[in-house]
Amino acid sequence: MKTDALIAALAADTTPRVAPGARLARTLPVAFVVSVVLLLVFWHVRPDLAEVLTSAPVYKTLVPLALALAALWLARGMARPEARVGAEASVVGVMGLGMLGALAYGLATNSPAEIAELLDTRDFENCLISVPVLAALPLAGALWAMQAGAPRHPVLAGAVAGLLAGGIGAAVYSLHCPHDPLMYFLPAYGGAMLIVVALGAVIGGRVLRW
Amino acid sequence: MPPLDDPSWEALMRAANRGDQRAYARLLGAVTPVVRGIVRARGGTLGPEACEDVVQEVLLTIHLKRQSWREDAPLRPWLYAVTRHKVVDAFRARGHRVEIPVEDVAEILPAPPGEDPFEARDMARVIGRLEPRAAEIVRAIGIDGESAAEAGARLGMSEGAVRVALHRAFKSLARLRERMIE
Repeated sequence: MKTDALIAALAADTTPRVAPGARLARTLPVAFVVSVVLLLVFWHVRPDLAEVLTSAPVYKTLVPLALALAALWLARGMARPEARVGAEASVVGVMGLGMLGALAYGLATNSPAEIAELLDTRDFENCLISVPVLAALPLAGALWAMQAGAPRHPVLAGAVAGLLAGGIGAAVYSLHCPHDPLMYFLPAYGGAMLIVVALGAVIGGRVLRW
Repeated sequence: MPPLDDPSWEALMRAANRGDQRAYARLLGAVTPVVRGIVRARGGTLGPEACEDVVQEVLLTIHLKRQSWREDAPLRPWLYAVTRHKVVDAFRARGHRVEIPVEDVAEILPAPPGEDPFEARDMARVIGRLEPRAAEIVRAIGIDGESAAEAGARLGMSEGAVRVALHRAFKSLARLRERMIE
């Protein structure tokens, strides 16, 4: 086939396309609401939620949400093949370093026995499973939106979609989870979000290639 | 690069995004020599015909990924990024490793105009793998120069259905190419 003929055929396909940013803006709120509804129906919110949301433990909701927002900003940039995303990536990196710093602080100020006791609950495994389950729909939505884009690095873009979804999943799950200490939050929520990041990277490596 | 005319590529692409076929054809026509220049500069040893295959693959990718260009951004950096990504990928799939530094791409001269004597073979082969009706629509509009309405009238389909089928055909083409070439 001659190139001119290909051009003529391509030009005839004027089906409107949805930009990746617009797709993210459309799918994520829906996925978020569905995750909240799933939580209300199958997990139930913690009884003291109203009190918690106005006191220090609200950090369990705010930190994952902040990570999700930073990841959203980065994902929007990565969907464009020509974009430089240094600023966006730095924000995510600084947040990651902040989590690591908090982990170091927690390890220094808690004895291993104390940490082991904090994590010695079935809720810990529950968290590692529940967060990815609640993140599944946001992850699907984020990856689908990124497919409309042209990320230069599919695996990394998938990982960022995973962070976005993992942050949403963790924020939603925090409305249920009754454990508030830092050294519970970091291993449980951090670990659960990392699982979603890894899932996003693996799936992204397959579905975001172009 | 020759001074670029009025209307700008950005204006053409914006018009294309609003369904202006002529603007889109004009843009793709203007972009093709640039893409061809990049492909030949990088993969000249493959021969002109294989290069034209890669050019067509890049055009198909530009088409399928055009919504990742943001309308307020300049088009060229986007275009080079897409071309670079796809050229590296296409040559890798053919067992040739090419490196394209980003700065480099912008400096490559477009291939001389009016030079398209080569019938690229890959695209025809892949079109042959499409479902027969989809293949017929692509050929009718591309090679025979029919409009979507004309093709629809001949095939007993509405114009809208022809456009949907055409759109799906391009998506399948991208998938099939990947499978056939690797």
